Amino acid sequence: METLQNPNANTNSNPNTISSPIRVLWPTIDGSLGLSEEESVSYARRFYKFGFALLPFLWAVNCFYFWPVLRSRSFPRIRPYIVGSAIGFGVFMAIISSWALTFSIGGERLFGPVWDKLVMYNLADKVGLTGWS
Amino acid sequence: MAENQRPTSILESLGEEIVRIVTPVSICMFMVVILVSILNPNSSSSYASVGSIATIAYNESSSDTSWDKFIGALLNSLVFVAVITLATFLMVLLFYLRCVKFLKYYMGFSAFVVLGFLGGEIALFLIEEFSIPIDCFTFLVALFNFAAVGVLAVFMSKMAILVTQGYLVLIGMLVAYWFTLLPEWTTWALLVALALYDLAAVLLPVGPLRLLVELAISRDEDIPALVYEARPVVNHDSNPRDLVQRRMRVWRERNETSDNRPIAVPDSVSDGNVVSESNVDEIETSNSNPIPIISTAVRAEEGEVHPIRNTELLVPLIDNGGNVQPHGVAEASGSNENLMLEGIGLGSSGAIKLGLGDFIFYSVLVGRAAMYDYMTVYACYLAIVAGLGITLMLLAIYQKALPALPVSIALGIVFYFLTRLFLEVFVVQCSLNLLMF
Repeated sequence: METLQNPNANTNSNPNTISSPIRVLWPTIDGSLGLSEEESVSYARRFYKFGFALLPFLWAVNCFYFWPVLRSRSFPRIRPYIVGSAIGFGVFMAIISSWALTFSIGGERLFGPVWDKLVMYNLADKVGLTGWS
Repeated sequence: MAENQRPTSILESLGEEIVRIVTPVSICMFMVVILVSILNPNSSSSYASVGSIATIAYNESSSDTSWDKFIGALLNSLVFVAVITLATFLMVLLFYLRCVKFLKYYMGFSAFVVLGFLGGEIALFLIEEFSIPIDCFTFLVALFNFAAVGVLAVFMSKMAILVTQGYLVLIGMLVAYWFTLLPEWTTWALLVALALYDLAAVLLPVGPLRLLVELAISRDEDIPALVYEARPVVNHDSNPRDLVQRRMRVWRERNETSDNRPIAVPDSVSDGNVVSESNVDEIETSNSNPIPIISTAVRAEEGEVHPIRNTELLVPLIDNGGNVQPHGVAEASGSNENLMLEGIGLGSSGAIKLGLGDFIFYSVLVGRAAMYDYMTVYACYLAIVAGLGITLMLLAIYQKALPALPVSIALGIVFYFLTRLFLEVFVVQCSLNLLMF
């Protein structure tokens, strides 16, 4: 195993010496397997924009993917998009969860006969979605 | 040094690699088993009849005799394998014609269909089962989000590795659950047929998957297909740039051996088990050979002993290996995606790749076992994981794309029937006589 590393040692040492003095901070949670900072900017911007197409989950994934950006302030170019995504996701989740909770807890007392038409399993039965063929 | 070079690339980290590939497979199987046991609790005999391409020739009914079922299941699986073969050849053709964009969009569309429709269907089953009072707006928005982000994560853009892997496992789970709705005999015939097909498609010189992999390697591109890629193993003390080097080590070594020391290569090759494969490689040279000029040159230089597949693997690196090294970290980490060896079965690079089809059919086997009893589930799970381990060992030995289905499926089926026929009787007797449990 040691002999295996030997032929690579000289090829490894050259880039290592360049990078080791600089503490590399990666913008994505995947570290070196993820994106570079340049790519990150375009991806973060794209995810942020797509999120407005009723895709709050994309905002959540954006926050998750660029978590180091959200934590530290060392990426000023990416950070606005990520913070925006976080805020958007928070607002959207607040709205939709309050609506869904009202719907499920309030139930028929609150909504009357409309509830039966809106609840998903009745709707699926009516449209005939639950059969496979 | 010569004999150390080949196998250690995977063997030294084999434990970690196995864990990283077995974990998602286990999660997928576990979720399928849970779905099966929640959604069809009493379906050892009764099943929903699904009209699909897998039951195009014959649809099983419980009144048929076993022979009828056997013949029908055989026909079904033959039709299914024929369709798959045609589709794969079509994909090879499209890939050969460089319609990568079209393939990518088609794959994205199919992923969207799987996630949106199958996922929505299964979500509806769960909602009905538990009577979850969710309204249709929330449901549709959530489903749309789920499917759209899934397509983005799997095909259209780069995404967090965890998210991509999670979606791949989910797609595998959904398709596998759908396959467990097939009639029983058809499922078994299909599993056997697909294992054989996998064996042929990856190992035969004209097999479609092999053509696809070789084409991808010679072009230095990714196959636009659903392939689960394990996160490569990282040492904790290594800095990020080591990782890039590490992933490419298999390539780099071969590159060096053939470029700088061509005389040493025949020794290192003849030490290993290449002798046993040499006849296969002879057939291969006479048949399809993507890069005739370079490989014949190498062969003329090194004699007949050098397996041709090594040279094929080398070729894309000869022009790439030079320019990756001096570049920055960012570019190296971006471009090493392309440098990795692809395999539908299993790729022999730093990160192990497993086709999603393997996930699906492992899970189908386990899910089908779950319809009988949990004892068969345990037996099948252990057998499949053992088969996966054997396949990984073979991968370390042969260092090329291998079919991942045959060993695992064979072991799984054998253990299923052994458990069902022998172990169950034994365990039931033991527990009836209060020897166990």
